[in-house]
Amino acid sequence: MRSLVYISVQLSVILLVAPLVNGIIGKVKALSQKRKGAPFLQMYFDILKLLKKNSVVSDTSSWVFKAAPYIFFSSATAAALLVPVSTTIMLQGLPGDAIMLISVFALGRFFMMAAALDTGSTFGGMGSSREAMISSLIEPSILVSIFTIGLICKSTSLPKIMIAMMGFGFPLANSVFILTFFALLIIIIAETSRIPVDDPSTHLELTMVHEAMLLEYSGRHLALMEYGAAVKQLVFITLLVNVLIPTDQLISIAGVGAVAISLVFYLIKVIFISLLIAVIEVNTVKYRVFSIPNLAALAFILAFIGFLQYFVFGGIYV
Amino acid sequence: MAINLASNLFQTSILLYILAAVLALVLIKRDKLCNIVSNIICIAAAVSGVAASIVKILFVSNTVNIDVYNSVIPFVSIDIKLDNLSAFFMLTLSVLVVCVSIYSIGYISQYIGKRNVGLFYFLYSTFILSMVLVFTSSNAMFFYMSWEAMSLLSYFLVIFESEQEENRKAGVLYIVMTHIATAFLLSGFMIIYHYTKSFDIFGSSAAIPEFAKNVVFIMFLIGFGTKAGIIPFHIWLPRAHPAAPSNVSALMSGIMIKTAIYGLLRFVLCYLGVESTWWGITILLIGIISAVLGVAYAFVESNIKKLLAYSSIENIGIIFIGLGVGFIAYAQNNYMVSALAISACLFHCFNHTLFKGSMFLSAGSIHYSTHTKNMDELGGLIKNMPVTALFVLCGALSISAIVPFNGFISEWLTYQSLFASIIYEQADINILSILAVAALAIAGALALASAVKLFGISFSGKPRSEHALDVKEVPCLMNIGTGILAALCLLVGLFPMLILKLIDGPVLSLTGTSIFEQLEGGFIIAYMPMSVSGNSISPLALIIALAAIIFIALLIIRVIGGKYIERKYGTWDCGFEALNSRMQYTATGFSKPIKIVFKIMFRPSREIHITGSQRYHPETIEYALSSESLIEKYFYDPFYEKITKYSRKIKYTIQTGNIRIYLLYIFLAIVILMAYIMFA
Repeated sequence: MRSLVYISVQLSVILLVAPLVNGIIGKVKALSQKRKGAPFLQMYFDILKLLKKNSVVSDTSSWVFKAAPYIFFSSATAAALLVPVSTTIMLQGLPGDAIMLISVFALGRFFMMAAALDTGSTFGGMGSSREAMISSLIEPSILVSIFTIGLICKSTSLPKIMIAMMGFGFPLANSVFILTFFALLIIIIAETSRIPVDDPSTHLELTMVHEAMLLEYSGRHLALMEYGAAVKQLVFITLLVNVLIPTDQLISIAGVGAVAISLVFYLIKVIFISLLIAVIEVNTVKYRVFSIPNLAALAFILAFIGFLQYFVFGGIYV
Repeated sequence: MAINLASNLFQTSILLYILAAVLALVLIKRDKLCNIVSNIICIAAAVSGVAASIVKILFVSNTVNIDVYNSVIPFVSIDIKLDNLSAFFMLTLSVLVVCVSIYSIGYISQYIGKRNVGLFYFLYSTFILSMVLVFTSSNAMFFYMSWEAMSLLSYFLVIFESEQEENRKAGVLYIVMTHIATAFLLSGFMIIYHYTKSFDIFGSSAAIPEFAKNVVFIMFLIGFGTKAGIIPFHIWLPRAHPAAPSNVSALMSGIMIKTAIYGLLRFVLCYLGVESTWWGITILLIGIISAVLGVAYAFVESNIKKLLAYSSIENIGIIFIGLGVGFIAYAQNNYMVSALAISACLFHCFNHTLFKGSMFLSAGSIHYSTHTKNMDELGGLIKNMPVTALFVLCGALSISAIVPFNGFISEWLTYQSLFASIIYEQADINILSILAVAALAIAGALALASAVKLFGISFSGKPRSEHALDVKEVPCLMNIGTGILAALCLLVGLFPMLILKLIDGPVLSLTGTSIFEQLEGGFIIAYMPMSVSGNSISPLALIIALAAIIFIALLIIRVIGGKYIERKYGTWDCGFEALNSRMQYTATGFSKPIKIVFKIMFRPSREIHITGSQRYHPETIEYALSSESLIEKYFYDPFYEKITKYSRKIKYTIQTGNIRIYLLYIFLAIVILMAYIMFA
């Protein structure tokens, strides 16, 4: 019973809030350019519009092209079940730990890259090949950060990590977690294709990475791909905020009220990170493709020094 | 009772392999009959091998003694024993042989009338038999002889299509390297004999002093490592595996390189006993380097079988990482972590056999239909070969370690063993362990990219050359063989506890700890997660969740968006003329970004020739891209040059061609022998 409540709360929160993050980032970017910009809820309208449109499918493509949006969207949503938005509902989420989370995202990425090659267009191949480069350079940083946090909390299961981190009070006061925070921030920017890794609002195909893989999609397929990307983005943000900025230990009541307050805190944290990402997007430019390895190396060094900080030089945590 | 059953089944298996070999020679003139009969007997032999292994591991707790024949050769007794470790590797071998034999009935049909099919099946059956004997012999000299037989028979199979020069060169390189490695093995056995005066593998190694054990370990590491294909002893692998016929490549890459892992576990862990941590640290370091470099070289290949061969090197690296962590933990008496790491290593051996076997068989199917192995000439095969495409997709998902296929489970276990080893170990191994985690991560991501490249470039898009036009689906039996392996990949991924129950047998006898103390999970059914030290995963729950989400999404989209209407049109071409197949990405182009990022390793160089009267309107452009292999340039080529130089010098100094000098050599030899007899 509790697990049913957990699944429904988890899915509804993440699926409903995901397009809002894109709305906030878009609004901040527009305001910084002295435009009014699209409304906050624009992405909801876009998805509904796309769902009602017909699809144009290339005759070079096969079933992989049509199946990939469903697989990508369901992998992102299944990943959403692994990262609790609030630890007050249930202590144990779906059986799955952080390493399985990375592998579930890999499933979506595999099919997105395979579908891009399926259309036989140059841009699809280009998007796939650049995505291959970026994701392989970012993976070590993700795993070293997760392992560092997991080793401090003595588990790789995300609900257990979140509960253990709540015992630290304010983790960001310590250097290990500050380094991991910035490593994870760079990882979020790379995985969700934001500036400086990839420009999500570009019209020039030669500058695209993620958008190039979606170029041939239309109608409901495009809606699923865009929605899936937004859900993936929110899952990463949830991972960052619920692990490194835990707030559930401040709640002293129990029951439905606790869940409600916890969700309000969660929304505030998500809005804060969206603003942070938007500010980074406004203030930097998209890097050259072959400068991205420098950024990936920076993320790895931050994560690795975080690991060394704790394990080799000792920490005050046991 | 069960021990008799296991013994009988195992003896049946060996006898059937011998029968298959003999019948292949008897039916040497009748190709079609030979094809069918040999394969059916091999399938029967492998099925009884599977049954024997399962009965042994699950029901028999003692070692099954088959028989001991004292042969006329001194020190060699044909001593075959089946214990848990041998049974597990026999199981892996037999599962692969069943599927490869089913596949071979269809694949070798293209050789009927053109090549000597009877000879092929004789070599094939005896090759499998030699591997069975490698896994089960308990006399070190008999093990050595089976090992030599295995190497020699696989050499003949590699050069089976000997009219192509690259196959012959690949064969020569393979046989030379494997013999040098076997020389190291022989030195190791000789040192052991010198101290213990016995060749019994199940004997005691207490008489061997510490420094001798270290020397023997180095010998075994080089000897077995060359067969496994670790870097820097790997250069034969990417040449020999593509040269062989595809069913032989599947056997070589699927199980022959695992004989090295068996050798290390049997001789180093079981016989010598690991007491120093530097043994495990060396193996872990070798594993890290092989995993990263192997997959980096795989990603830039355009030849399908070379890509798969380099991917085998990467997976051997992952197996060595598990093995290294196991040895380190064993040396520090941390048997729980050691059991976990060794089960991760064994499970990855099993999984790699399944998915690499399936991929090599599919590569054979592609070659059967299109007569090319170069990805840059393929494309659009999914339209005409949908079944093969589905099996390649399953294999590609397994190679990339994606939930819920089997590659993920063994990589997850390797990660968990690294996690457990960092929590319980001292500080000096922690840095190496976290570097192992980073190496596994980058290897996994590059493996995913290579798998997407293989599937996407070969099967998707438009055909890039006339090889890929008008292809037909391969014969049904070839698809059945590949399909069984692909289905097993998915099944083992969904129900890993079945195989872990079988792995528990060898791990219990090697480390004395059962992994089931730390590994909880249901046996077959549904939702039960598999959990290690409190971290649990459930691939079955995930696939149910994925299916449910897709179903609900389809429902909601049907409600909101109405019926699905699609219009077929050409791919977007920016408004210019229709795209042709030359405008697609090629395999070479796909891997160019990684080649540039890691150019310190690949050293790419390019040549461009432009012809045409005007500079901005060229008539033809010729583009050649090449990369050099660092290991060959700095390690093997200087070594080879020096050896050739000195051999030549010595040859002309000793073999002068002057008969008087040769008579002087005979005289000196007689004088020395007489002096030895008089004074010794």
